[in-house]
Amino acid sequence: MTQQTPASHPGVFDVELVLRQARAYLAFGDQVRLFTNRLGEAAESETDWGQALQQHFTQLKTTIAQSAENPAVNPELARLWLLMADTWSETATTLGIATETIPDTLRQTEVWRAYQRTQGDYFNQLRDAAMKALDLMEQRLNELAAAGKTVSSLRELYNLWVDCNEETYGQMLRSAAYSELNGRLFNALLRCYSRPEAQS
Amino acid sequence: MIGLTADQIAAEIEAFSHRLKQGAQTLAEVGEIETGVSLREPIYQEDKLTLYRYQPRVENPHAIPLLIVYALVNRPYMMDLQEDRSMIRGLLDAGLDVYLVDWGYPDAGDRTLTLVDYVQRYIGHCVDVLRDRHGVDAINLLGVCQGGALSLCHTALYPAHIRNLITMVTPVDFHTPDNVLTHLIRHVDIDLLVDTLGNVPGQMLNFAFLSLSPFRLAGQKYVDLVDIFDDAQALKNFLRMEKWIFDSPDQAGEAFRQFAKDFFQQNKLVKGEVIIGDRRVDLREIAIPVLNVYATQDHLVPPAASKALAECCGSRDYSELSFRGGHIGIYVSSRAQREVPPAIAAWLLAR
Repeated sequence: MTQQTPASHPGVFDVELVLRQARAYLAFGDQVRLFTNRLGEAAESETDWGQALQQHFTQLKTTIAQSAENPAVNPELARLWLLMADTWSETATTLGIATETIPDTLRQTEVWRAYQRTQGDYFNQLRDAAMKALDLMEQRLNELAAAGKTVSSLRELYNLWVDCNEETYGQMLRSAAYSELNGRLFNALLRCYSRPEAQS
Repeated sequence: MIGLTADQIAAEIEAFSHRLKQGAQTLAEVGEIETGVSLREPIYQEDKLTLYRYQPRVENPHAIPLLIVYALVNRPYMMDLQEDRSMIRGLLDAGLDVYLVDWGYPDAGDRTLTLVDYVQRYIGHCVDVLRDRHGVDAINLLGVCQGGALSLCHTALYPAHIRNLITMVTPVDFHTPDNVLTHLIRHVDIDLLVDTLGNVPGQMLNFAFLSLSPFRLAGQKYVDLVDIFDDAQALKNFLRMEKWIFDSPDQAGEAFRQFAKDFFQQNKLVKGEVIIGDRRVDLREIAIPVLNVYATQDHLVPPAASKALAECCGSRDYSELSFRGGHIGIYVSSRAQREVPPAIAAWLLAR
């Protein structure tokens, strides 16, 4: 008997995926709005507008960068950076290592500490790439200005931010150091999971 | 530099928030997401595997059946995603008699399945079923992505059973410099992975794919989604694709072990060193006509990884079909529907 391919369940899509990124985007917008506010004030009071622009963009970068250094400062903004860290944590959970449920016996082992160190190295690499992306973004904005072009919407600015991050992340991803670190991260996690303490 | 005022940004944020709120309602109204549109029937089952025959769309389909072997790492309904994006429908419309191997979802009981099971037993049995059913000595085989690598192995081992071979976005040389997946897996201890986990979770493979372009695939994509919240059809198309992306079966442990080590890490396929059971896979044994279809912007299987087949297979009737697009676009883009199935069918019907 001929049959149609079965339909999927409508609840498969996780709406939270959209909401998380939307909130991060809105937090990004808030920061840019503050930046343009300050820039507007500077334009009225200062003679060297170019210097004011650079100074305020540096402040914008610092604020965004702070969220990467310490997500507690602005959790929604931090989510922009933490895509890979979040994805990795979810992956680790599916492999059986949910950080919040790790038994104390495992936390005290060297394999767990080694995993934590490696994960720290991994997050540091992600953060470094993200910092470079901000520098690249500033460079791109300057190039646009030199060419007499402007960014005329928040979404355009966000898309530029994404492009810059993909570029610096992509360079990191293709490096030999990242290949080695990625392997080390998986192997360190697996060594935790293979210990009997992880099963308790 | 930034030609924006705070008021403009505030207005843009407000509009975005408004669309986001409305979107929740639209999502609730989208209804069931159907995946796969062409009529088909199961004609053979073995363990988790189901062999389907698609209902022909011409009165007298081509006498030689075409068997599609998809990858193990995603679900094959990508080949038949929706009415206007179906490679299978294109092949049916071109007069072919199309069959598809659906590998199903391996579970803990399948962890000991090896490449012998996939290459020799499962594909072998499907080929035999079709040879018997159609009364022919050899059938046409179309392998997709990893399924293409498995199809190459099968054809090299049983060349008399395959009349024509088509490989589509298939990796052959896994060590081309632009192969990012190999780059990611190179230092992973595969034995530790399989010994620890048994089957390899599909979620882990999703992480690997997402990690290739996280700011686009896990961030920007969902921000852009807000723009199509008021377009039910576009939203359905998005959700259909999203379902496919995250519908990742776990991988049978032992088969994954050999594939990851021999193909990705040690690049044995191109060296003629892959051993399936007690037999060596020598691609030079493939003397039948071969059509190698690759995508010029494929970020998962770079063109060079596919095109390496030209140098190592034994066919004197070797052709390539270059598609201008990516690894997913070759199945679902409008241009792919116009270009790829007709070209495959024409190539087959001429042989």
